[in-house]
Amino acid sequence: MTAQKEQGSLRRVNASVDEVARSLVGRFQTNRGVRRMLVLVVVAFALFAALRPGVYLSTLNLQNIAVAAPEIGVLAIAQMLAMLTGGIDLSIVAVANLTAITISTLYTAAGSRGDALGPVFILIGLVVALVGGLVNGLLVSRVGITPILATLATMQIFNGLAVVWTGGRTLYGAPRVLTGVGNATVGGIPVLFIALLLVAAGIGILINRTALGHKIQLQGANPTAAAYSGISSRRTLLGTYVMTGLLGGIAGMLFIARNPTASADYGASYTLLVIVIAVLGGTNPNGGFATVTGVVLAALTLQIVSSGFNAMRWSPYQYAVAQGLILIVVMVSDQVHLRRRRRGTPPALPVGPATPPTPV
Amino acid sequence: MSESEAPVLEVSDIVKTFGGVRALAGVSLSLKPGTVHCLAGENGCGKSTLIKIISGVERPDSGRIVVAGTEHDRMTPSGAMDAGIQVIYQDFSLFGNLTAAENIVLTGEVAAHRALYSRRRARPAAERIVRELGIKLDLEEDVERLSVADKQLTAICRALVHDARILIMDEPTTALTRTEVQRLFAVVRQLTERGVALLFVSHKLDEVLQVAQTVTILRNGSHVLTAPAAELDGASIGRYMTGHDIDESRQVVRLPADASAVLEVRDLTLPGAYRDVSFTLHRGEILGLTGLLGSGRSEIAESLFGVLPARSGTITVDGQDCTIRSIDDAVAAGIGYVPEDRLTQGLFMDASIADNIIASSLDAYRRRPSRLLDRRRIAETITSLFGRLRIKAPNVSSPVRSLSGGNAQRVVLAKWLATKPKVLILNGPTVGVDVGSKSEILQILRQEAADGRGVLIVSDDVPELVAVCHRVLVIRQGQVVQELEGDGVDLETIQRTMAA
Repeated sequence: MTAQKEQGSLRRVNASVDEVARSLVGRFQTNRGVRRMLVLVVVAFALFAALRPGVYLSTLNLQNIAVAAPEIGVLAIAQMLAMLTGGIDLSIVAVANLTAITISTLYTAAGSRGDALGPVFILIGLVVALVGGLVNGLLVSRVGITPILATLATMQIFNGLAVVWTGGRTLYGAPRVLTGVGNATVGGIPVLFIALLLVAAGIGILINRTALGHKIQLQGANPTAAAYSGISSRRTLLGTYVMTGLLGGIAGMLFIARNPTASADYGASYTLLVIVIAVLGGTNPNGGFATVTGVVLAALTLQIVSSGFNAMRWSPYQYAVAQGLILIVVMVSDQVHLRRRRRGTPPALPVGPATPPTPV
Repeated sequence: MSESEAPVLEVSDIVKTFGGVRALAGVSLSLKPGTVHCLAGENGCGKSTLIKIISGVERPDSGRIVVAGTEHDRMTPSGAMDAGIQVIYQDFSLFGNLTAAENIVLTGEVAAHRALYSRRRARPAAERIVRELGIKLDLEEDVERLSVADKQLTAICRALVHDARILIMDEPTTALTRTEVQRLFAVVRQLTERGVALLFVSHKLDEVLQVAQTVTILRNGSHVLTAPAAELDGASIGRYMTGHDIDESRQVVRLPADASAVLEVRDLTLPGAYRDVSFTLHRGEILGLTGLLGSGRSEIAESLFGVLPARSGTITVDGQDCTIRSIDDAVAAGIGYVPEDRLTQGLFMDASIADNIIASSLDAYRRRPSRLLDRRRIAETITSLFGRLRIKAPNVSSPVRSLSGGNAQRVVLAKWLATKPKVLILNGPTVGVDVGSKSEILQILRQEAADGRGVLIVSDDVPELVAVCHRVLVIRQGQVVQELEGDGVDLETIQRTMAA
């Protein structure tokens, strides 16, 4: 009798342990944002491959996608992290440029020893990014300024510094460590793309497997309950913005690795683009929910569409329209899903005329 | 107001299923003008679903809704309002940054498609309602600065501006003190004289019986009985609601004489809230802290947890002097706090039960040297608490939003028990929790105390304090006015001292 009971409780413990493990590991399979982006990636790719197979499926084009996506992807991951706490970081592109400019300036100044000192310059560039992140973090967590305003101000400051520093000119030159990486491939896959995957894996681990990551999610899910749970918003937010700064620095390295130039106005359109990507990837702009996988897939989707437009020789303005449309379609599908769920009916069985009409 | 008068609202044979789960299995209800009807039942019995159906938020699978003789086969929220049905939810749905007068009038202005809001028109309309009900309400104050009771009055006034014929109130008394409840009931009597039909949704039995003429009880989505309130008492309603007898008797284990102090508070003072508060909490003891709303009881609890640090005085936890200036300090000292406002302060509603349980103890599960979380140990902790507190949910990854009040409260409790606190402070531990769950939660507290924790319960639910507390401190105007111990802890004495 007791043995049976014990067995039963053991089975129950096992089942629950499995359950927890599945919920922690397997979030990605069950997540809508991820599934949706996976579909979008495949559809976009198939569409352009069918329209222009000769150009689109060439190794050159594929590698171009894989080389262009990482810098946007890393910036979007940084944005996702800030949005996970319910905040936003408008200054990441400015931080990235500041890092690129720092590295390029030091390299040029060092003259013939520039390549040997490359790693040191990279480190200094990353320190600049960390300081930028730290300033954001202090403004948000200690002073208590709303993230959108704090980072808007620092974005202006960092941009301004960059322009004053470079005199508005484009700097040329980067350590061979970086340019070498920028051109290298491993088994046909550009190293830059591998760098994106590494960053994504690192942030995935941070979010799901560290105390800080869990605190970041809880802080975004309900700041009041987080405070009442003994989670220090100061430390969590400071950690978050230092991390977004660091990711900005890494993006700056990717800028200069791909193309050995640095200027204050590089990637001017990225600031808003990475917000779009983060949201497309399933990040809740109110905080508390995001997946790295979704964001990486969203970055890839936009890059695939962008290069597709290139291959079709459609204009960048048409691409801008497409970007906006993709965002709207995804948001509409979110709303439809939400309303169905609120009405308590399974999404597979729409209920007659009450289903909101899809805007045409 | 005669018995034969036609019902103003009649719902019959309402069936509603959610994804295969039957929430309501053929429930009927009829409401007469000028009467108070109470809808009682444990959380999850279908009360809220029934209200949502009456107010047009949910559509029933089958059944009839007849309002004042007109059948509504497709009730919508605006249709319900036009038919004179108003619902006052627990959160009152008020705009905190607007004044009471604006709150009372504004939704009506919007409904009337007025493009411009006129302050001149608003004020008299609000004043008229307040005067008619004979209540005191500061119409010019921002609603967020009003007391809970005044917020409720604001919501009632707003409903009346809409010419409500049927007023449904969801748990109207849970957040009120005894005096405020009496004041509410006076207003309720005013309303019935105006011919308004009231439907109270509640599980606070004793209060309900004071004011209701008819009681309908639901259990697991089924209609159990409808009877005149005069034929029922607290015990019988409890039995109908749960299907078994509820034990609310005093069960207190004697403390060993040499039980050491786990929390010592000396001369704690926070000007404007309380002063010179001193007491000792022993290992294994359950100490009650009671008083009316505004007596300072909640503030004392919040000071001990660092939310509202005290100005002067000393706090000693387990023999160690502590300076508690923030929540971090309190948690580091080994204090856990189950807050009064579970939904906003206690829980991450969209996160899973597992994530909620582990929220306060994350740092304890960091592995060295990688600093990654030890997921196996986390799973063990979560599973053991999930089982020990008997949280009713399909599994630990269910979102907390899907839980009933009692189960949600167990999750908050589990979150703190996971930190293995020396002192556990609970502010209103069973607010919004149904009777069956309530006695189980109290039993959990007895168990935790027996395991050597100090438990401090801050509450104005006197029967609950009598049921579990070794000692009770009564707070009045920010000071401890009486300490009751052993057999001295009884309902009458506490209530008398609180209100004196």
